[in-house]
Amino acid sequence: MNVFRFIWHNHVQVLELTLEHLRLVGLSTLLAMVIGIPLGIVIAHRPRFNKPVLASANIIQTIPSLALFGFLLPVPWLGERSDRLAILALTLYALLPIIRNTYTGIRGVDPAVVEAGRGMGLTESQLLFQVELPLAVSVILSGVRVAIVISVGLATIAAAIGAGGLGEFIFRGLAMVDDRVILAGAIPAAILALVADFGVGWLERRLQPR
Amino acid sequence: MTRLRSIVRVSALAALALLLASCAPSHPNRIVVGSKNFTESFLLGEIVAQQIEAHTNLKVERRFYLAGTYICQQAILSGRIDLYPEYTGTSLTAILKQTASGAKEDVYQRVKGEYESRFGLTLGPAFGFNDTFAMEIRGEDARRLNIKTLSQATAFTPKWRAGFGYEFMERPDGYRGLAATYGLHFAETPRIMDLGLLARALKDHQIDLAAGNTTDGLIPALDLFVLEDDRHYFPPYEAVPIMRVQTIQQHPEVAQTLAALSGKISDEEMRSLNYAVDGQHRDATEVVHEFLRRKGLVQ
Amino acid sequence: MHAASIPVIEFRDVSYNVAGTQVLSGFNLQVQSGETLVLLGRSGSGKTTSLKLVNRLLSPTSGEICVKGVSNGQGDVIRLRRSIGYVIQDVGLFPHFTVARNIGLVPKIEGWSADRVRARTEELLQTVGLSAEIASRYPHQLSGGQRQRVGVARALAANPEILLMDEPFGALDPLTRDELQREFLLLQQRLHKTVVFVTHDLREAVRLGSRIALMEAGRLVTVLAPKEFLRSADPLASAYVRAFGEGLESAANRGTA
Repeated sequence: MNVFRFIWHNHVQVLELTLEHLRLVGLSTLLAMVIGIPLGIVIAHRPRFNKPVLASANIIQTIPSLALFGFLLPVPWLGERSDRLAILALTLYALLPIIRNTYTGIRGVDPAVVEAGRGMGLTESQLLFQVELPLAVSVILSGVRVAIVISVGLATIAAAIGAGGLGEFIFRGLAMVDDRVILAGAIPAAILALVADFGVGWLERRLQPR
Repeated sequence: MTRLRSIVRVSALAALALLLASCAPSHPNRIVVGSKNFTESFLLGEIVAQQIEAHTNLKVERRFYLAGTYICQQAILSGRIDLYPEYTGTSLTAILKQTASGAKEDVYQRVKGEYESRFGLTLGPAFGFNDTFAMEIRGEDARRLNIKTLSQATAFTPKWRAGFGYEFMERPDGYRGLAATYGLHFAETPRIMDLGLLARALKDHQIDLAAGNTTDGLIPALDLFVLEDDRHYFPPYEAVPIMRVQTIQQHPEVAQTLAALSGKISDEEMRSLNYAVDGQHRDATEVVHEFLRRKGLVQ
Repeated sequence: MHAASIPVIEFRDVSYNVAGTQVLSGFNLQVQSGETLVLLGRSGSGKTTSLKLVNRLLSPTSGEICVKGVSNGQGDVIRLRRSIGYVIQDVGLFPHFTVARNIGLVPKIEGWSADRVRARTEELLQTVGLSAEIASRYPHQLSGGQRQRVGVARALAANPEILLMDEPFGALDPLTRDELQREFLLLQQRLHKTVVFVTHDLREAVRLGSRIALMEAGRLVTVLAPKEFLRSADPLASAYVRAFGEGLESAANRGTA
């Protein structure tokens, strides 16, 4: 039985694991956006803080993922449920691209536009929501896209600590020494990453300022 | 601009819907059976799965080869699996983090009580065998040296090399405690080896003592001898099904079906099942089906 | 000139320094209602800084700026800015808004009804000499001259009394610049806004200004009407006149013909 027939034959489980994978990636990306975008806005407006914030996010990125999972395992509440832990770890890894792109996107808005807006009497929040963010949204989305693609990959490792997802097929296939099982996890994961990359990329292009 | 806004709004809603759909792992008329990633575990998983399939209307989803106790625990806690086969001693030490001691009934009750109160999980009736650690030596050595127990073996171990699996070396209820209890010393530090290779290595004289399991299929096949744990160091490791209380409540027929398996698998029977798959390389599904038919559990 | 009651804008002893540099010092100036006061000087003379002090984009280090008699340091700075039109050299049109939305932004956030905003936008496009169908275009589709006209329309949208203009025509080609200067004069004749206009071009200053305030190194050197400026004995003023050469007299005669 070749890989595709195997996937079809086990499509219920493939679907289930894919949904689990989506949950890990989706929740963590959402959390990273909720934390990272406001943080990026703050450091874009107060450049004094940009070095420490970006440096911290950078340091987190350099920690090998399996090691980070291992560090977090003994933490109470977190370590009790490995999907919680995985979501936290994935969120941390998604922070750097999101914060950095938000910062770049907002700093990249034409200063003349910001000056005109402020001079016209727009409040800081009107300036942010009606001018800066809409103009920066394409760059910010690019950061989100990178974060999602990274997360889809990292989430496969999360299966090693029992968080479920498509990585479970991969590890199972390795234990069974069965290529079809490995690919039943790897192929959907790759497709997920490609679809996300393509989909968010499309949105980016549509939202690009003229 | 407004058309674009509606595109964005629709995509955001779609993403949210997908997220919510993936949030609650619920399988209405399916039972998901898990197992660990060694032969005995997925044989037990397959036995449970086929039994449920034969005697209820439920569909069974198999999620085998989960890599270890922690991962199985996570999976059953989060509802990704509904039940999986475990050992009482492992639950006690690895999950509940207590020291294992006592008779097997005590251990069973303690584990059941704690699981029910802490995790919303419960234990089904024991399958009937005790898969505890077996200190194996070659049959020829046992006969030649005329030793039957571990205490007797300690006289000879300083000249022996030992091979153990990773978990046995690291677990608190593993090598460390054993060495302390019996005053064991070996010629060199025990080698850590892949579980599947230990029996072969023993047979081929690469090592002289291996930590295996009492239900190892290769014990009779390779003429290996299990030294008696005369100081009762190893706690009981009765094989039991761990189940989600929620699953039992929704599908009481599952509990009934598992009750029919109570005590039906002896140590010898488990060994021969293991050997059929590991030694004779037969298909696990077939082996299980044959076993269940032979025991009159399925038609 | 109108009889001056209280000046619309007044700088009282204003100083501004930043990062150890004294950009403006001891600046005193009054701007009367309806006049076009030109701030003339070279780069670094402090003219743009003075402009930004009026709508509080910058705050003075000492002294105060009074707008319509009230110090602009107290009170709501947002209200202040919305009552002042601001036109800058780079225009700063919002690239993701249509021309109509750019022009209508301040009225909209001031709560005008959609109809009123639309009517005002059409009116303004006409006033700045643009055809109505431009309203649905985006800034990147416009020429430099068209963009600045939209910038002026945007600044006039909520009908402010005061207009601040920072070298608004500086980035345009000479032909377009000449057009826009001419149209500015016509507009001023109709609307009588109080305008503070920054430039480094004496020709423009003489053509557009009712008075020229000459600035150098953060200080006010002299304030003169255009014709007096051309005949002034002040060393810096005459240096400027010499530098700009011929054609200034006719410019001073408001070459709108």
